[in-house]
Amino acid sequence: MAAAPFATPQLKGYPVIPLVQQGAMAHSKPFVASAPIQKALGFPEELVENWQDKAIAKMGELLGKYRSLRVYMDTCVHCGACSDKCHYFLGTGDPKNMPVARQDLMRKVYRRYFTFAGKYFPWLVGAVDLTKEVLDDWYSYYNQCSECRRCSVFCPYGIDTAEVTMAAREIMASVGQGQKYSNEIIGKVHRIGNNLGIPAKALENTLEGLEEDTKEATGVDVRFPLNVKGAEVLLVTPSADFFSEPHVESLIGYAKVFHAAGISWTLSSHASEAGNFGLFIGNYDQMRDISMRVREAALELGVKRIIVGECGHAWRVAYNFWNTLIGPFDFLDQRYPVPQHICECTYDLIQRGALTFDREANDGRIITFHDSCNVARASRMGGMPGGQFIIPRAIIKAVANHFHDMAPETIREQTFCCGGGGGLLTDDLMELRVKGALPRMEALKSVVDEHGVNFMATICAICKAQFSKVLPSYGFEMEMIGGVHQLVGTAIRLGSPK
Amino acid sequence: MAFELNGKVYETDEEGYLVNLADWDEDAAKYIAGVENVEMTENHWEVVNFLREYYNDYQIAPAVRVLTKEIGKKLGAEKGNSKYLYELFPYGPAKQACKIAGLPKPTGCV
Amino acid sequence: MTLLTILFALLFYVATALLVGGVGYKIYVYSRTPAPLKIPTTPAPVTQSGVALRLAREVVFFESLFKSSKWTWLFGWLFHFALLLVVLRHLRYFTEPVWAPIVLIQPLGTYAGFAMVAGLAGLWARRFFVDRVRYISTPSDHLMLVLLIAIGLTGLGMRFVAHTDIVAVKAFMLGLLRFDWQPLPADPVLLVHLFLVAALMAIFPISKLLHAPGLFFSPALNQVDNPREARHVTAWATGAPKPAKEA
Repeated sequence: MAAAPFATPQLKGYPVIPLVQQGAMAHSKPFVASAPIQKALGFPEELVENWQDKAIAKMGELLGKYRSLRVYMDTCVHCGACSDKCHYFLGTGDPKNMPVARQDLMRKVYRRYFTFAGKYFPWLVGAVDLTKEVLDDWYSYYNQCSECRRCSVFCPYGIDTAEVTMAAREIMASVGQGQKYSNEIIGKVHRIGNNLGIPAKALENTLEGLEEDTKEATGVDVRFPLNVKGAEVLLVTPSADFFSEPHVESLIGYAKVFHAAGISWTLSSHASEAGNFGLFIGNYDQMRDISMRVREAALELGVKRIIVGECGHAWRVAYNFWNTLIGPFDFLDQRYPVPQHICECTYDLIQRGALTFDREANDGRIITFHDSCNVARASRMGGMPGGQFIIPRAIIKAVANHFHDMAPETIREQTFCCGGGGGLLTDDLMELRVKGALPRMEALKSVVDEHGVNFMATICAICKAQFSKVLPSYGFEMEMIGGVHQLVGTAIRLGSPK
Repeated sequence: MAFELNGKVYETDEEGYLVNLADWDEDAAKYIAGVENVEMTENHWEVVNFLREYYNDYQIAPAVRVLTKEIGKKLGAEKGNSKYLYELFPYGPAKQACKIAGLPKPTGCV
Repeated sequence: MTLLTILFALLFYVATALLVGGVGYKIYVYSRTPAPLKIPTTPAPVTQSGVALRLAREVVFFESLFKSSKWTWLFGWLFHFALLLVVLRHLRYFTEPVWAPIVLIQPLGTYAGFAMVAGLAGLWARRFFVDRVRYISTPSDHLMLVLLIAIGLTGLGMRFVAHTDIVAVKAFMLGLLRFDWQPLPADPVLLVHLFLVAALMAIFPISKLLHAPGLFFSPALNQVDNPREARHVTAWATGAPKPAKEA
C-alpha cells in the first residue's frame, strides 16, 4: 500500500482526551472519484470550472430542502460539549475532527454567503470565502466523519454533524469532487445489484456452496434460497454476508433460524444488497433508487415480509427511510413490522419458544457486544425506545453463557463507532481507520483484561470488516469479531439430521 | 498510473490494481507481489490461478468460503481456511490476492 | 423632552422591532423548511407527548449538556436560570401594578445577578483554559460574553453600588409601552446598561443566540420515533416515482 507509515496509538487503561494537535490529519483524504465513476451517477466528471458558484448555489438549495442543515448552521453556540466526543478526534487529536470544528468548516462558508453578520463582519464570526483551500479542507475532513451521530447525543441542540457531512459530500459530488470508494460502490449497485458486484450466477454458486458446507457441518439440509417466488420472507442483507469472513457466519445463522422456525424465505439477486451508500454521500435520489430495488424485488417475488440482515446503516435506511422512500408497504403482511430486523425476528421466535439452543456450544466464547452507531443512535428495534440495545443482548444471552458489557459510557447510545463507518471503510483511509478505532479498542481491552473476553459480537457488516482489519493493529486476534447470528448459528438446534 | 516490464506498459489505478484484466501475465503478478512484499510460492500461484479461473466464469472474485474450500481441495484440508490464506497474503486474501491476480479490487464492506 | 430620551426611546423601538421581526422571520424560515426524512437521535420518544417531554428536559435541565460536560453544564445552567430570574424581576419596570409573582421573586432576582455573572465568567474562562474550546472560539463568541457580563455588571452596579433613579426609569419604560414618552435619567451607568441591552436584542436574530428558537426545530430532538407506524411525507420528497412495474 502506498500510504505513508503511521504509528498505531497506544492503548491506555483509562480514556484520555488528547491535546489539540493542529493539522495532525490534514494529509488524510480518500481518492477522488474518477470520471467514469462520477459519470455513472450523473455527477460532473471532474471539478467543474465555476465550482465555487455551483457549490454555493447547491448549499442554498440544500438549506431550503433540509431543515436539519438550516437549523444546525444557525444554532451552534460553540459550547464545546461535543469537542471530546468524536472517536476521530480522540484517536488523532486533530482539532478539525472535533464535531463543532468539522461543522464550522461549512458554517463559516454559510455565514459568509448566507448571513448578515458574515457578509458584513466576516472577521467577527469567522466567516470565510469558499476558496480552493477551504474545499480541500472540506474534502479532507468531511471524509474523516463516519456520520455516527455520537456528537448529536451530547449536543444541547441535537446538532447532528452527520447531516452537515452529508450535505458537504453532496455539494462536493455535485461540483465534481466525489469520493471514489462510495461512488464506485453505488455504481455497482445500479449495474449489478450489490456493493461487491456479485452477479446472479456467482451468487447462486456461492449459496449452493453454503448449502453443501452447512449440510457437511450439521447433517441437515439448510437451504439458502435465491429468487424463490411466493416465499414468505425476503431477506435483504449486506453483500459482504455472501463474500467475507466473518460475515458469512451470520448468513448461515439467519438460514438456520428460518430453517428451525419453518419460515419460507428467499434472497433476491435484484436486491442483493442491504447497504445503501446513498446515505453516506447525502444524496436523496441515490438513496431512493438503491432502496427501490428492494420494493421491486418484494413485489416481483410476491413475499409477505421483508427482513433486513446484520448491517448498521442499512437498518437506519430501512427502519427510518424506506416507508418514506419506497412505501407504502400495504402489500406486505401488516402483522409484522415492515421492515423487520433479523434480530427482531429471532428475538420474537425465542420469546415464542420456537427456537431451542445448546448454549454450551458457545462456551468457548466470552462475549461482549459492540453497539453499531446507526443501529444505536439512528434506529430502533422492538416496541420500546432502546429496544435496539435490549434485543441483541437478549439474543446473545439466550444462545451463550458468558456475556460482559463494555464500560457504560462506551455502549448503547454512547457507543463508539468502529472507525470505518460512513463510507470510510477504504484502504486509502487506513491511518484514520486505525486511529479512529482507539476508543473502542480501549473499552475492549478493559473487558479483555477483566473478564477474558475473546469475542466481540456486532450486527454491522462495516463493523465486522473494520474490526477484522484493525484488531491486529492493537494486538488482538482478527477472529475476535463476529456477528450475533454467528453465535445463534453455533448454538441453534436444527432438529434431527436427515 | 502504470508500471513497465520488458517494454510492456501495465496501466494501474491509484491503488496499484491493473486497469485492464487482459494485461495480466506472470511477470506482472510477480512485480505486483514484489511491491506488496509477497514472495510467490507454488501455493500462492494456486490461489492466484484459481482466482483468475473463477473470475473468468463468474465476473467476480470467489467469496472467501468458496476460495478456502477450493484451496482445501487442492492443497489439503488443513490449508482450507482463511487463516492459511492470511499467511499467504497478509493484507487479506480478498484484496491482496486479487491485486496480484490482476482482478479488480473487491468493493463494499470487506 | 431631552434628545437623550428621544434617542433611547427610538433605540428601544428599533431594537424590539429587530428582535421580534428578526426572530419571527427565522422561525418562519425554520418552520417552512421541510424535514424530508425521519432523523430523531435515538433512543427517541415514540409519541408526540414524549417528544414534548424530551424538549422540556433539554430546555429546563439542559439534559444533553449534563451528559456531556459537567462544568459547562454547571456554568451554562447557572447563567441561563439566573438570567431568567433577572429578566422576570425586570418585569416590575414594565408593569403597574407589579404582578404578584414578580414581587415574590424580587429578592431572588436581585441576587441572581451575581449568579449570572459568575456563570458567564465560568463560561468565558473555558474559552481561555480548555484548549479545545479555545480553538473553536471566534471573536464574536468572546464579545457575546463580554456583552452579557457588561450588562450584568452595570445592572448590579445600579442595584448595589450607585443607585439610579429607578422610579424615573420605570416611568420611561411604561411610557415606551404606552407611547407616552417620559424623560430618561441621564445616569451614565444606566445608559450603558440600556444601550447594551438594546444591542443584545438587535443582534439576537443574526447571531448564535438563535440557539433558543433553534432548539425547538432540531429534527434530531423534535421528531417522533415512529417511521414504521406512520409514513413520513414532506413537500419535495413526496411523489417519489413508483417502481416501473407498478406504473
